[in-house]
Amino acid sequence: MKFLIIEDEEGLRQSIDQYLTAEGNICDCASNYEQGYQKLSIYDYDCVLLDLTLPDGEGLQLLKYLKKLNKADGVLIISARNSLDQKIEGLSLGADDYLIKPFHLSELYARTLAIIRRRNFNGNSLLSFNELEIDTASKEVKVNGQLVYLTRKEFDLLLYFLVNKNKVISKSAAVVHIWGDEADMADSFDFIYTHIKNVRKKLTDSGCKDYFQSVYGVGYKFTDA
Amino acid sequence: MKLFTSYNSILSVITLTGLLIIGFLFYQTLGQYINRQIEDHLYEELLEVKDFAHVKNILPSPEGFDDVIVEYKKIHKLSNSRRSFADTNFYNPKKKHKESARYLKTQLVLNGQPYEILIIASKFERQEQIKSIILIILLPVIALLLILWLVNKILIRRMWSPFRQLLTNIKAFNINQEKVFEPIQTNIEEFKELNKAVLEVSLKVKSDYKEIKLFTENAAHEMMTPLAVINSKLDTLLQSNSLGKEESEILSDLYKATSKLTKLNQSLLLLVKIDNNQLQAREEINLKTLIEEKLGYFQELIQKRNLNIQSELAEFIIYANRSLVEILVNNLFSNAIRHNYDGGSIRITLTEDNLDFSNTSTQMGLDPLKIFERFYKDNASDGTGLGLAILKQVCIRKNYQLSYCYQREQHHFKIVFKHSENKN
Repeated sequence: MKFLIIEDEEGLRQSIDQYLTAEGNICDCASNYEQGYQKLSIYDYDCVLLDLTLPDGEGLQLLKYLKKLNKADGVLIISARNSLDQKIEGLSLGADDYLIKPFHLSELYARTLAIIRRRNFNGNSLLSFNELEIDTASKEVKVNGQLVYLTRKEFDLLLYFLVNKNKVISKSAAVVHIWGDEADMADSFDFIYTHIKNVRKKLTDSGCKDYFQSVYGVGYKFTDA
Repeated sequence: MKLFTSYNSILSVITLTGLLIIGFLFYQTLGQYINRQIEDHLYEELLEVKDFAHVKNILPSPEGFDDVIVEYKKIHKLSNSRRSFADTNFYNPKKKHKESARYLKTQLVLNGQPYEILIIASKFERQEQIKSIILIILLPVIALLLILWLVNKILIRRMWSPFRQLLTNIKAFNINQEKVFEPIQTNIEEFKELNKAVLEVSLKVKSDYKEIKLFTENAAHEMMTPLAVINSKLDTLLQSNSLGKEESEILSDLYKATSKLTKLNQSLLLLVKIDNNQLQAREEINLKTLIEEKLGYFQELIQKRNLNIQSELAEFIIYANRSLVEILVNNLFSNAIRHNYDGGSIRITLTEDNLDFSNTSTQMGLDPLKIFERFYKDNASDGTGLGLAILKQVCIRKNYQLSYCYQREQHHFKIVFKHSENKN
């Protein structure tokens, strides 16, 4: 898939680029409004990652421009400002999602994939991994064609790991994904262990191989390697 | 002590002393004046006696005088003292009681025989006169003073009324709310000046406070991008294949610290946001449903700690901002779960107008005055120390009454919703 990263912070841009490229995607980078404007005019992307505060212009203007071009690119806004107004404005201008800094790369990737999934109306909502099959629309998990009952949070967690397969996901990223920013619970990392244990048990009980790998207490990896 | 009381007490001491001194002097002067009149009179009588004796060669009869008493006494020889006046008391045979009087004592030689003559005049009438005079003068003066005091009181009250208004306005001034200091209308120069000074101070305080809030907001925002860089670099590092146990542990600690820093920043921003009243859109919220939702949301955490939840929830609808109320309930839950021990309990009681969260804890009762302060936390706590501060801020903003108490080994957090605020 093809991504455009419009972000002025070099360190962040590089990391996103690296993470997405490693997943087998193609990434273009723009560090300011002007570069972003040019690339948007010339190329088509599956998803554009758009920072709202650029040194030479407003990210929202780029969004307006993109919509004027009538392109089908998905847009994920990444902003340091957690403002409801800005979020509403961005979404009403046609952005698909709004991610607040700081975020985890795994979260960013999961969000972009979700956007692309939603945009491809003709594409199916099925994700599969060996004997495992996940329907993101009906939120169903099947192992060898057999339905496995997962709670909402367990489903989210499994999907999160599946779209970031072969990547190590830190406990911190998993907690934020499950809990969001609202609860003052970001420090309760250990609880994620229980969660993953439950998902693992439910999957292996229904005959699925255990694809979760623990990485020295820092995180987990979903892989068949 | 009130200004008027203080002013009055000084004034009354001065007035009273002044009145006493003037009264005394007045009395003295009058007394001397009367004495001199009586002495004149006595002297005239004496001259009459002398004339009579000179012409008739006998002393006039004591009964012949109307208003004075005359006595003669034979003496052996003349002494040096010629004439003397003095006060005395004498028995008034007509009125049959003792009266104060003044007498003149002198000596006289008649037909070679020296006599002592004593002429006594009553002071009674004169004294009555003095009393009347003093009364006539003093009574109006006292009345005048009383009137003055009353007028003073009324006037001062009226004159200080702008000041009192000013004071009320200053007390009503709240830096946290949008309420500005309301200047008063007055013609009095001093109050005008005070008014102006207070107005300037209030504006300055407000703008300074705004600046500090803006600074906090901007600082927290500016930190978000570097935090995002750190996070993304950590995520990148985590993908490295050469990650050993030691590096992983370091990474784990870094993740924890970063997420704590992020949380801290978010909490600060949230505080500023609540402070700035940015969450305004209001809607009807069924508190019972919301709490039940949140119970589901926190379910895993509750299960993991093996907490026993007892809830008694009545239907209760409030009219407020959803985000604010969610923050409120989230923080109550987080707090009750975080500070509990494994196998402890949480009790949630929702009745009309009032929500009570109580939880068991390893901690004993905390200082109810300090518990809602920013960054107040025990050393064992891993939280930001802002959760309860946010809770308090939400309650202040929404006019809810938040209280904490420690009863029967349970920490109680109670919120009383104001009825009037909800029904419209």
